[in-house]
Amino acid sequence: MSRSVKLFAFLATAGLLIAACGDSGPSAPGAQQSAPGTAASPAPAAPAAGRPAPGGTLTFVLENDVINFDPLVSRAFVDRNVHYQIYDSLVRIDAAGKIIPWLAEKWEFSDGDKTVTLSLRKNVTYHDGTAFDADSVKWNIDRYRTAKGSARSGELASIDTVEVVDPSTVRFKLKAPFAGLLANLVDRAGMMVSRKAVEAGGEDFTRKAFRAGTGPFILTEAIKDDHMTLEKNPNWWGTDKDGNKLPYLDKITVKPITNSDVRLTNLKTGDAHVGNNIAGKDVAGVKAEGTLVYQEKPGLSFASIIPNRAPGFVFEDARYVRAVSMAIDRQEIHEKVFFGVGAIGYGPIAPPHFAFDPAFKPFPKADADGAKKLVAEVGKGALTFEFLVSSGDPQTLQLAQLIQAQLAKAEITAEIKQLQFSEILKLQDEKSFKGATLIGWSGRIDPDGNTYDHVFTDRPFNDSSYSNADVDKALDEQRATTDEAKRKAALRKAEQTMVVDDPARIWYRFGVAQLITVKALQGLEPYPDQLIRFQFAWLKK
Amino acid sequence: MTQYVIRRLLLMIPVAFLVTIIAFGLLRLAPGDPVLVYAGEERDPVSLQELRVLYGLDKPLPVQYIVWLQHAVRGDLGRSLRTRQPVSEAIIERLPATLELGLAAIALSTSIALIVGTIAAVKRNSFVDLLTSSITLAAVSLPNFFLGLILILVLGLALRMFPPGGYVPFLEDPGDNLRRLVLPAITLATASMAVNLRQVRSSLLDVFSHEYIRTARAKGLRESTVIARHAMKNALIPIVTLIGLQIGSVIEGAIITETIFFWPGVGRLLVDSITGLDYPVVQAVVLVSALSFMLSTLAVDMLYAWLDPRISYGRSRT
Repeated sequence: MSRSVKLFAFLATAGLLIAACGDSGPSAPGAQQSAPGTAASPAPAAPAAGRPAPGGTLTFVLENDVINFDPLVSRAFVDRNVHYQIYDSLVRIDAAGKIIPWLAEKWEFSDGDKTVTLSLRKNVTYHDGTAFDADSVKWNIDRYRTAKGSARSGELASIDTVEVVDPSTVRFKLKAPFAGLLANLVDRAGMMVSRKAVEAGGEDFTRKAFRAGTGPFILTEAIKDDHMTLEKNPNWWGTDKDGNKLPYLDKITVKPITNSDVRLTNLKTGDAHVGNNIAGKDVAGVKAEGTLVYQEKPGLSFASIIPNRAPGFVFEDARYVRAVSMAIDRQEIHEKVFFGVGAIGYGPIAPPHFAFDPAFKPFPKADADGAKKLVAEVGKGALTFEFLVSSGDPQTLQLAQLIQAQLAKAEITAEIKQLQFSEILKLQDEKSFKGATLIGWSGRIDPDGNTYDHVFTDRPFNDSSYSNADVDKALDEQRATTDEAKRKAALRKAEQTMVVDDPARIWYRFGVAQLITVKALQGLEPYPDQLIRFQFAWLKK
Repeated sequence: MTQYVIRRLLLMIPVAFLVTIIAFGLLRLAPGDPVLVYAGEERDPVSLQELRVLYGLDKPLPVQYIVWLQHAVRGDLGRSLRTRQPVSEAIIERLPATLELGLAAIALSTSIALIVGTIAAVKRNSFVDLLTSSITLAAVSLPNFFLGLILILVLGLALRMFPPGGYVPFLEDPGDNLRRLVLPAITLATASMAVNLRQVRSSLLDVFSHEYIRTARAKGLRESTVIARHAMKNALIPIVTLIGLQIGSVIEGAIITETIFFWPGVGRLLVDSITGLDYPVVQAVVLVSALSFMLSTLAVDMLYAWLDPRISYGRSRT
């Protein structure tokens, strides 16, 4: 299976093994330190023991090779692990998931939230020596918005024009207020790339090692399927709380290893120093291992079963969807398939989100009798549906079989059909699958990214063909304001409808952000997006 | 001779053409949409449509094929749908790993076949002959995906004699490179070793029954000279054919072994590209491996003439 496909299948079905711990899970949305909203420099992530010492080289085992270094066309999660080291975004998040200043030192919404003015950090240069300024921001954002085949155009669709006010101020005029815009600028849509590097290298500017970001590390070597070398950017603008220049490390070697067991072996033997993804079955062993430190934090991802709710299909009747949601034993899935790593979930809004409601537990226990009653109420006999599962992935099949067994207790028959992942994707995109599929979402920083496009009528990821006027209305409301209290109320209202009253999907779990380090490695902590902030890392001598 | 070679080379063109049509057609029959596969979570319909246009996937199939062919004859094999890397670059990048593995396996299988096969032929019906016959029968019956896993389990994981998989470029760490080469090379060599060995044995036996061998022995030549100078050269023709074909099929021969041992060669590239519906890569790899097969059969035919002066090409027609 192609590696990106494998990764995606994995994310989609297993709902990110990268999964959260059950006990610390949903109720503690990252109560760690968070940088103040207008801080001039990023604060070191964790209050580490001892004083950070500059220098050192470490090896990072990554779950796959990077597919594309250009944020414009990057579509794989794995890419971002390296993007975050070589590029800076306009804004970033802290370890608690809150948006913090980065290349933009501050921002202001005006004109009824239809204008955003960003004040940019001064004296920042790209790795190739060109200056970062407002012109550069405009060029980048326009490139992401308009380039053919851009993977970023959707994230920036709310922007109408980008204006350069002065060299360190840029203004986005929006078509309509969009509360999720800043969160989109945290990631690839907000990553700033040197215009000179792109124009000189064309489509292939990232093909060989290149100097195009402003980030804490420079990519000096990239050997396909073997390793990448990131070297310290001595001119990076960030400092720690004592004013020492970041990053501390001289060099990072990134080794892509797709096999989770092999990654873990490398960490155990000390050949590698840090990883951010191990299989659930290994977590207990790593915690017990004396040489390694295991940290985790609730993630932004969710896993779900997608019924086809379009007219003419089995799940057109909402009661059937609810019956499945009631009959599933989420606790058992959590324990048996995911080894207790991750968190039980009921909807799309994840624990790190401001709108997350820890008390929202509409299906706290499997209720086979309740499900039977609902199916009987529809009055069309027993519920039987086709359950598409991608072939070649034993864990997904195991998950599907467990769900099948649980549904059987409520006399619901799930007929498992294994297909190539690419074929399932196509059926899902055409919305022509007969019953249900298993798919997840890697999660977005703003809850809008976990909801809107997935359930709003006719939006791109609305694979269940769901349409509910109340949900559409509530989701539009939360988009139109930057007032968090109002947004929270609207999002929770929409969630109640799309999960319980007129269910769009069957959500069953949240993922986790893992971080596995050797003892000597200090300064790192997991972030909800699972990406490692290597600028804070240092090695204890 | 030159005319013969030219004729053979010209004959390759229609064959290669057919191969590309078959590869193109079969791949398009596989269900799924590559754009959806590579879009990952970024499934914005506008962007997807742009990608289809960009990759030329919006055009009718015959047009797509002709466009591809036009570029291919000029040496441009297109770009991977997944990584946008030029396909020729992707293949060249992985070729050293495949060649290293393939040639190591052929060298291993050939040398063992020649030595053991000769012994078995000379000592026909002895205990050694019986033993090699049974071992080769087992080796040829053992599928390499199974043998590979057994080797990983026993030598890689239980005894920890060799790394269970992975690849390190030779220039970076020659020792590690060779250590990692051992298991996949044995896996790949086993089946062909068995076939080659039986071939060596039977053609030597065949040659031994000829009168010129009796003559050579009657002249009072030492047995070793009889075997090396008289028997071997004449017995080599079928063996050269076999080995030549094995060299020509080094890419497809290594598909399974490369996948099992996580060996970053062209075979694994092909497997990944098939499941990922990366059309341009699959088409190019199939074409390259077909060409290498055809060229190696031609080389084998050339070798015949050298090995056996009675065989000549072209002259018979004039």
